[in-house]
Amino acid sequence: MTAMIADNLPVLVIIVPLFIGIVLPVFARRLRLVEGMVVLAEALGLVGAGFLAYMVVTRKGADWIYQVGGWPAPWGIELTANSLAVFFLAVVMVVSLPIALFTIGNLRQEVGGNMRTARFYTLFLLLVGSLAGMALTNDLFNTYVLVEVATLSCCGLVSSHGTPRAAEAAFNYLILATLASSLVVSGIGFIYVITGHLNMGFASQGLEQIWQAKPHAVWIAISFVLVGFGLKSAIFPLHIWLPDAHSSAPSPASAVLSGLAVKGYMICLLKFLYVVFGPDLMKEFSVDRILVLAGMTAIICGSVMALPQNNLKRRLAFSTVAQVGYIYLGFGLMDINGLAGALFYLASHAAIKSALFLSAGAMISATGKKKISELAGIGRKMPLTASVFTAASLGLIGIPLFSGFIGKWYLIAGSLDSGDFLPTIIIIAGSVLCAAYLFPVIRVAWFESPQQAEQVNAEQQAEQPDSAAQEGSRGIALQDEEMHSGQQVQQTAVYQNVQENTPPGNQVKDPGTAQKLALILLTAVIFILGIMPGPFIALAKRAAAELLMLR
Amino acid sequence: MRDFILKRIAAVILPFVCVYGFYVIFHGHISPGGSFAGGIIVGLSYIAFSTIYGIEKGRAKIPDKVLTWTESFGTLWYGLMGLVGIFKGVPFLANKLAGVDLGLPGALFSGGIIFYIGLGVGIRVASTMITIFFTLMEDQS
Amino acid sequence: MKALLEKLIINYPYFFAVVLFAIGVLTVLTRSNLFKKLLGINIMGSAGFILFIASGNIRGGVEPILHTSDHEAVYVNPLPSALMLTGIVVSVSVTAFALSLIIRLYKEYGTTDAQRIARMRNEVKKIDSNDRR
Repeated sequence: MTAMIADNLPVLVIIVPLFIGIVLPVFARRLRLVEGMVVLAEALGLVGAGFLAYMVVTRKGADWIYQVGGWPAPWGIELTANSLAVFFLAVVMVVSLPIALFTIGNLRQEVGGNMRTARFYTLFLLLVGSLAGMALTNDLFNTYVLVEVATLSCCGLVSSHGTPRAAEAAFNYLILATLASSLVVSGIGFIYVITGHLNMGFASQGLEQIWQAKPHAVWIAISFVLVGFGLKSAIFPLHIWLPDAHSSAPSPASAVLSGLAVKGYMICLLKFLYVVFGPDLMKEFSVDRILVLAGMTAIICGSVMALPQNNLKRRLAFSTVAQVGYIYLGFGLMDINGLAGALFYLASHAAIKSALFLSAGAMISATGKKKISELAGIGRKMPLTASVFTAASLGLIGIPLFSGFIGKWYLIAGSLDSGDFLPTIIIIAGSVLCAAYLFPVIRVAWFESPQQAEQVNAEQQAEQPDSAAQEGSRGIALQDEEMHSGQQVQQTAVYQNVQENTPPGNQVKDPGTAQKLALILLTAVIFILGIMPGPFIALAKRAAAELLMLR
Repeated sequence: MRDFILKRIAAVILPFVCVYGFYVIFHGHISPGGSFAGGIIVGLSYIAFSTIYGIEKGRAKIPDKVLTWTESFGTLWYGLMGLVGIFKGVPFLANKLAGVDLGLPGALFSGGIIFYIGLGVGIRVASTMITIFFTLMEDQS
Repeated sequence: MKALLEKLIINYPYFFAVVLFAIGVLTVLTRSNLFKKLLGINIMGSAGFILFIASGNIRGGVEPILHTSDHEAVYVNPLPSALMLTGIVVSVSVTAFALSLIIRLYKEYGTTDAQRIARMRNEVKKIDSNDRR
């Protein structure tokens, strides 16, 4: 039995979340069971990913290739468990488990209704399963299908609030993401027409032989793939959907979208560029320069756009645009340190941004306020949440002892190795800008007087009509930034709804045990990655070496 | 809708459409079409019934709970069929390797697990089409 | 010129794929009606499908089903068609999901025009900020 599971681990890691996710709506009436199954699926995935990583790391030499259905390579679908795959798989599972824990018990009031909650979890697990698949698959068309599953799940998660604002954001996201999918599928079509293979290894060999005869077709394929995945992973000029989508989703969904989904598309792009086209072709078509340039633009522009945002989640969403730039910059450096740094930064940003979104979500749902200026003095009332937010912010800025520092260190090392000083300057300037948009939040949370906030709370408590309670879910639906004061009734309803789970007299306090555990886990990940990055950076370096010297 | 002729014609045709859909599902592995196309035909026969005879009547025929179950377990069935290979000690979704009898080419019961997988997919597609239809109709009203 | 035209005529599915793709992109980017955007997306998807399916065609090939009589027949490549079936499934789900979003937006705003929706949203925001002052 154990051998049976161990032999089939690459496929089991993908299908367990997928199939557990799909049966969840059947058990929608018993929400406890659903939550238990979600956590079980996540835990199984984490154990599987850990074991797979162990097996791949201890296995010297060749990658572990799993042939689905027993069909050999040119015909069948292959799953390749190499260093890159297990690295990203571990990131997905380690970050999604705390997010799943965070949703326990409080998702229902945010999404509304048992069935909607169960379907939210279905989408969540579909997303996790497809991300795991993206990490492992070695087949071009399989990648496209998994990307589509992830995209539709993301759109569903964005619109799960049910507000018109969320529907609009989800629609824009859906249109742009489908445009990107069409580009990707056309790119894959071009690769298939040129080489006659859908397996990444075989397609790569075919391209190597033929690209000099048909450079235009290869050029078209590269640009389709680049723009397609660039649009999906929100690199700067193509980021327009991201702030709306990520800020109007429920907080756990924002965390998984910003933390993991965007990274999945980047890993796909990485595989397409390095495994299919290969480093030589990238240099030939100067894709590396494009990546570096796009990354640098994204760092500066994303940070500058994040500065004036007063809505906390929007500011974090724009921050994601900037952080995506670092990873693209690392992808383009074509250097082992730079690429390892980009992968490490990807892992660190996944944990940090999830922690930021979850703690921000906890603050927002406890107070009902979305603006940064309204969160004054929150540090006294929700010490744990605010501490996690602070730790994650310091990590994002890149203070030593936190994970972001290590990633930036290697990125700088990589850019210095490549002999170009501009990326180094941009990385440091990006850190300064990051501090400029995150320190005000910390200052407001810890050092500003909570007088004003309490006053508003008292006002809200004064008028608390009973009829509002019935409209609780409706109030959630309208809890949006454009709520005008004519809707005070609903605002009170939101407030009351939140209060149901908290004892009276002490309204704003840290969230429940599961949520605390989730936040602590994420903070622990940030610290562990920052204090002893050895094994992780070794794995990232191994993955980078495999990518760079594959041929 | 109160159109008598439409209702009578639908009453005659729709059962055959539904059966034809199942025919396409069952013969997916030996002829053009397949579980997706067949599932769509089955779903459409039901959707046509609901539009002609009214949503309420259509809803009464298949409760939501049944739809949820078929939707979830149609897909799970696929996964279970894939697990057959793993239990036989060969990769996921293995067919002939798992020792399944492939039968004669062209016969209805041939192709090993493909036939059973197609069944699950067909049921899933049919129930999904119906769910999409009802969801959209609900949203509209 | 003649050679180019000949190439075009032989490879006409690819030409149509390009034209459809351009029409789709243009529709998505320039129309503000949400339904038209959705139609544009579907047209664009079809372009990708045609590109793929055309790559599997072999002139004079027969359908890849086991024929008992002639073993000499050249089969067309069935793989692209099978793959595009998956693509069609995806586009069906995208369309259904987008339609349900459009219905929700229409119920809220009473229009399916993206620009008008944005304007209405901004007006709400303006009222909001005026009231706060």
